Amino acid sequence: MKKAFVLALAVLATSVVAASAQGSQTAAARSLANFNCSKTITLPFVTPLTGGAGFLGAEQMSWAKYAVKTLAPGLGLKVKLVGGDTPVEQGPAPAQTLAQKYIGTPSVLALLGPSTSGAVAASTKAYYAAKLAHISPSATRTTLTKTVGGTFEGSPSFFRDVPGDYIQGPSDANFMVNNLHVKKVVIMDFQEPYSLGLASAVDTTLKAKGVSTIRLSAPNTTTDYSAYVTKVPSDADIVFFPTQKPGDAQTFAQQLIEQGKKAKVFGGDGSNDASQFKQPGSYVSNFAPDITGIPADAQIIAGWKKDNPGKAVGSFGPPAYGAAQIAMTAISKACKAGGGSTNRAAVFHTFKKVAIKNWILGGSFKWSTKSNDPLNAKFYIFQIQSNGSYKLVG
Amino acid sequence: MDQFIQLTVDGLTLGSVYALIALGYTLVYGVLKLLNFAHGDVFMVGTFAGFGVLQVLGGPANPKVPIWLVIMLVTLAAMAVCAALGVAIERFAYRPLRDAPRIAPLISALGVSFFLANSMQLLFGATPRNYDLFQYHEGTLYLRGLHIGGVTVPLLRIITIVAAFVLMVILWFLVNKTRTGKAMRATSFDREAAAMMGIDIDRVIVFTFILGSALAGAAGVMFSLRVPTNVSIGFIAGLKGFIAAVIGGIGSIPGAMAGGLILGFLESYIQGYVHGAHIPDGTQWSDLYVFSVLIVLMLFRHQGLLGRPDIRKV
Repeated sequence: MKKAFVLALAVLATSVVAASAQGSQTAAARSLANFNCSKTITLPFVTPLTGGAGFLGAEQMSWAKYAVKTLAPGLGLKVKLVGGDTPVEQGPAPAQTLAQKYIGTPSVLALLGPSTSGAVAASTKAYYAAKLAHISPSATRTTLTKTVGGTFEGSPSFFRDVPGDYIQGPSDANFMVNNLHVKKVVIMDFQEPYSLGLASAVDTTLKAKGVSTIRLSAPNTTTDYSAYVTKVPSDADIVFFPTQKPGDAQTFAQQLIEQGKKAKVFGGDGSNDASQFKQPGSYVSNFAPDITGIPADAQIIAGWKKDNPGKAVGSFGPPAYGAAQIAMTAISKACKAGGGSTNRAAVFHTFKKVAIKNWILGGSFKWSTKSNDPLNAKFYIFQIQSNGSYKLVG
Repeated sequence: MDQFIQLTVDGLTLGSVYALIALGYTLVYGVLKLLNFAHGDVFMVGTFAGFGVLQVLGGPANPKVPIWLVIMLVTLAAMAVCAALGVAIERFAYRPLRDAPRIAPLISALGVSFFLANSMQLLFGATPRNYDLFQYHEGTLYLRGLHIGGVTVPLLRIITIVAAFVLMVILWFLVNKTRTGKAMRATSFDREAAAMMGIDIDRVIVFTFILGSALAGAAGVMFSLRVPTNVSIGFIAGLKGFIAAVIGGIGSIPGAMAGGLILGFLESYIQGYVHGAHIPDGTQWSDLYVFSVLIVLMLFRHQGLLGRPDIRKV
């Protein structure tokens, strides 16, 4: 009996090792599998299309769609954009499932997204095993491109065209200290990676500058923040509120006023949505400027508006256009280098060579030589005006 | 003291919404012995129906009629839409399964829940909707109200709490003082015996769904007056309402009211008073504390606070 049990265990272990070896061999083989560039390329966009951050995915998809429509023919490509839904409420599981699906699809040569940092951390190693380059227009967690305290959650195949929280956190904190002259700041997080990383980055910088900070943590499913507002001291200057649901930032700002608290809400890039977060006096930071102020983008904006009547230009969409532009340019270059055919590994190696002259976010785009981040990118800080518009203040 | 008053008001606001949702669960369970897991999504539809009517009435900034009438019309419209939806759900998803094993309508209820959430998203998208009553007269509904100590209880919270209690009183009256209510109680006690006594069971069940769903619609509006809504809000709201119903004793109307309020107060006080120097912080781990208390409660009183023990003939 004991012998049979040991034998069964040995067979099981051998099967597992064989299966994983088979898996990595398959991924490696797929990375070198030739693809005829005249065929239609599938370009998946992994982003939250449903749930509380569904607005983000919808905006990003609309811009990526416009980029595919207007840029792919000029690059000599036939591209089909497909959406992969990763609702933030469901954690990293959908991102892992989608990664397996897209790795198994031969017409996928590169990906857009995942849009959220948690989803990137959960899936990027699988993409790297398949040498599948993927570029996020909004995942800003520092450890996705840099090692911090021995932690690195990214992979060489992960790229982003927006700066990381290592820039956002200190930028926001420095603005609070230098421009708002804060003495006491309440810092919230929502028990998920995005807000935890950003809250810690702001907390560290503020403490280093002698500002008193209070940390509050709310579950990601919280809808009514009244009890948290009650805990905000009446002499607090700012509540840093790095949510991915802009409507919650609005609710919190209104509940602060309701309870007679003088603190202003300061949101991160996740709350940057003028249609939902519009409480006058509040602040919000973002990795992209308001592109409506960039003359060179006038034609792109007009075209996008024609395709999306009644929609306002937000801050999440233009970096998604840029990400699609980078991914398609890399594929096009790899196709040309391969004489009309290419493979995932070639696209992956071409990614870092892409530079864009007229970058949608202003100026030109180049990669940093030290990480898969954009060179010289910065965060922008806006204050919400009495008419709900966002005014650039830092 | 001010903090206690503030947290009490928070708990009362939250709890009265939970109670309204819990009543829907408890009514349906009382009559059909069915856990209507689609109830949270009926609540969500109510929030959207209210939002639509609010826009038709000119929006929060420039309403075409006085604000009290806006809130009343929005609430009534949401109640009507949800009542109609409840009737449809009962007719097409539950009635055909009435004599099936109990697991079948349960699965059907879960199916309806996903159907509603996904259909709403297909129709209206994933963008959250905000009633944004702060826009009305520069935040009057948030800034004016009742002063207790150093705390102002804003008009919007007073409206929410009072409306919820008025609805609970109306429900109590309907169930305890009307002929239809008596029929509901009889059906709840013994469906077959009630049918033999000449009670139209189908009609009673439909009426129960109308009542429960209308309350969900009202709860949806009460909730959304202060907090943005989205198509996935029904899951958490429904879960909280279900838990409130179980705490109070599922099937018991006063129990659902009490359960909702207890859950609201527990959440509020734990978030406000439990500080995390040496123990998990209440703001971060409120669900841990709340559910620990509830587990203990259920261990000592399986049928909930006001529920009847399940007596079986042996």
